Amino acid sequence: MILDSARKLCRTAAPALIAAPVLVLPACGGERPAEPPPAPSVQAISAVDDAGDTVRLAAPARRIISLAPSATETLVAIGARGQLAGRTEYDVGVGVDVLPSVGGALDPSLEKLVALRPDLVVGWHTAGANPVRDRLREIGIPFFAVRTTDTTDVFRTIGRLGVLSGRTREADSASAAVRRELAELRASVAGRPARSTFIVVGDEPLMTAGPWTATIQLMEVAGGRTTFPDAKGQPQYVSMEELVRRQPEVILLPVSGDGAARIRELSTRPGWRELNAFRTRRVHALPVEQVYLMGPGIAQTARLFRDAIHPELASR
Amino acid sequence: MKPALRLALLAALCAGALLLSVRLGAVRLGVREVLDALRGAGDPTTVAIVQRLRVPRSLLAALVGGALAASGAVFQALLRNPLAEPYVLGVSGGAAVGAVAAIVFGAGASSAGVGLAAFAGAAIAIVVVLRMAASVGPTLDTRILLLSGVVAGAFFNACILLVLTFADTESFRSALFWMMGSFSGATWREIVLLAGLAGPALAVLFALARPLNLLAVGEETAQYLGVRTERVKLAAYGTASLLTASAVAVSGVIGFVGLVIPHIVRMTWGADHRFLIPASVLLGATFLVLADSLARTVAAPTELPIGVVTAFVGVPFFLWILRRRGA
Repeated sequence: MILDSARKLCRTAAPALIAAPVLVLPACGGERPAEPPPAPSVQAISAVDDAGDTVRLAAPARRIISLAPSATETLVAIGARGQLAGRTEYDVGVGVDVLPSVGGALDPSLEKLVALRPDLVVGWHTAGANPVRDRLREIGIPFFAVRTTDTTDVFRTIGRLGVLSGRTREADSASAAVRRELAELRASVAGRPARSTFIVVGDEPLMTAGPWTATIQLMEVAGGRTTFPDAKGQPQYVSMEELVRRQPEVILLPVSGDGAARIRELSTRPGWRELNAFRTRRVHALPVEQVYLMGPGIAQTARLFRDAIHPELASR
Repeated sequence: MKPALRLALLAALCAGALLLSVRLGAVRLGVREVLDALRGAGDPTTVAIVQRLRVPRSLLAALVGGALAASGAVFQALLRNPLAEPYVLGVSGGAAVGAVAAIVFGAGASSAGVGLAAFAGAAIAIVVVLRMAASVGPTLDTRILLLSGVVAGAFFNACILLVLTFADTESFRSALFWMMGSFSGATWREIVLLAGLAGPALAVLFALARPLNLLAVGEETAQYLGVRTERVKLAAYGTASLLTASAVAVSGVIGFVGLVIPHIVRMTWGADHRFLIPASVLLGATFLVLADSLARTVAAPTELPIGVVTAFVGVPFFLWILRRRGA
């Protein structure tokens, strides 16, 4: 019975879980070690993926299928929209709706995928077995595994997808633009107190993001600090009592749909109603699909965070 | 109809299901294209889809369906309990603990590694449950065995939840997907391994059909009639459990087949195990092949979890059989 409910949880939580891995990450962009400059030769292209495998292509990929929404977003942002041959059900709002779907991001229909004749498939790096990767490689389709946990991963992924799609220049300028915007935001909050901020990854059970995740790094860029710097999990389960004890100044609440209604609903629940942030109106509903973007969109996410954490700076 | 004729009919049904399942899929292919691809002719992409994806998947579904149904039939006979099914003695729980632990703690474990861990977990569960039951009283009491299985199952579920609590999001996802069961990763290697194990195991179960017939009536009766009950029970439990363990190791936990298929066969054609076991194998294989075809095509390209289809199709059918029998 427990197993059954776990299975159910898996199904219903699939989209959230898919977004969540994305939130596992740490140090911010600026200080990461420089990647070796991609040297695209005319002959062959190669890049090492996050599983440590080297993926080699004879030429820049022209028929890419991305199973990871963050990679899809990145590819579109570097101008490779025309090189995409398919999409998953989770690629929403990035302008790829007309492409044929291959189903789920983690359990795509393999034959649909193969039938679209991709010359590169970009997918999640999964812990342990990855049957999708194994089957595709058997058939001779290159599979590039990505894992975006922190902002360093985001920049690294932008760079490598640029190499694989033959768009290193666009990738470099996209990365530079994101770095610039993050630096601007960081500068805008300089000298202001970092406000204790709690991001609600899930409310039942209560979960937040670990301090090494992109989400928390962006929160720090935006002039906040996580209420749970001691979190070790991914996601981190948090007890309501501890949250009430720590009284975050600001609460970020990723929602899909009516944010105001969601805040009203939460504010009457036990535990939640003890949080001062509800009385001081410092609970901010943010669109969930923006919050967990793990591509060049992190710049907008950071701005959204900054405007929530330091509303006095908003719309400047 | 003679039993041999019935079995031939069921075999034909199973073959038909296999052919249909190779014809159907998320990608529309004509009969001609499929036939060409089976011979390795025609478009290489189509050949890859048919030979590397569809055929292995259908064959694996057939093997798992047959194994689970046979195992279910044997458990129902041994435990003399209509609710018995292949997982009732904690095999699936043990397998899941093994697989989940491999996924969560064994960073980078391959598909084969996870399968092996699942099999090891199942084997440990079988031994633990049997020993637990055997330690009470001079003979293996089926009621005690059933209780041991249920208790062990609950304990394994607790272990899974404990491991998952400390899993990161990535492993959590992989572990849950494993537990839902799927044939999408089917490989020829898995098919060969499962066939290699299931073949001898099924042969043993077929050979035990007569003593099982007597055991299903009652242990005392069986003993009076010369059955060495303890040995038969042990052999049947061990074999059926191993059969289940190997099926779970390659495909995850797929419910319902092992419970309902033997009942359907029994209600339709009677409870002679000489017929019941082989018929369950064939019908179980047919059922799971068709269920997997539906899972792949109904909402294509999204794949439904196979357990959803087995229950959605199986439950109404089962109810219909029950009512027809009652009338």
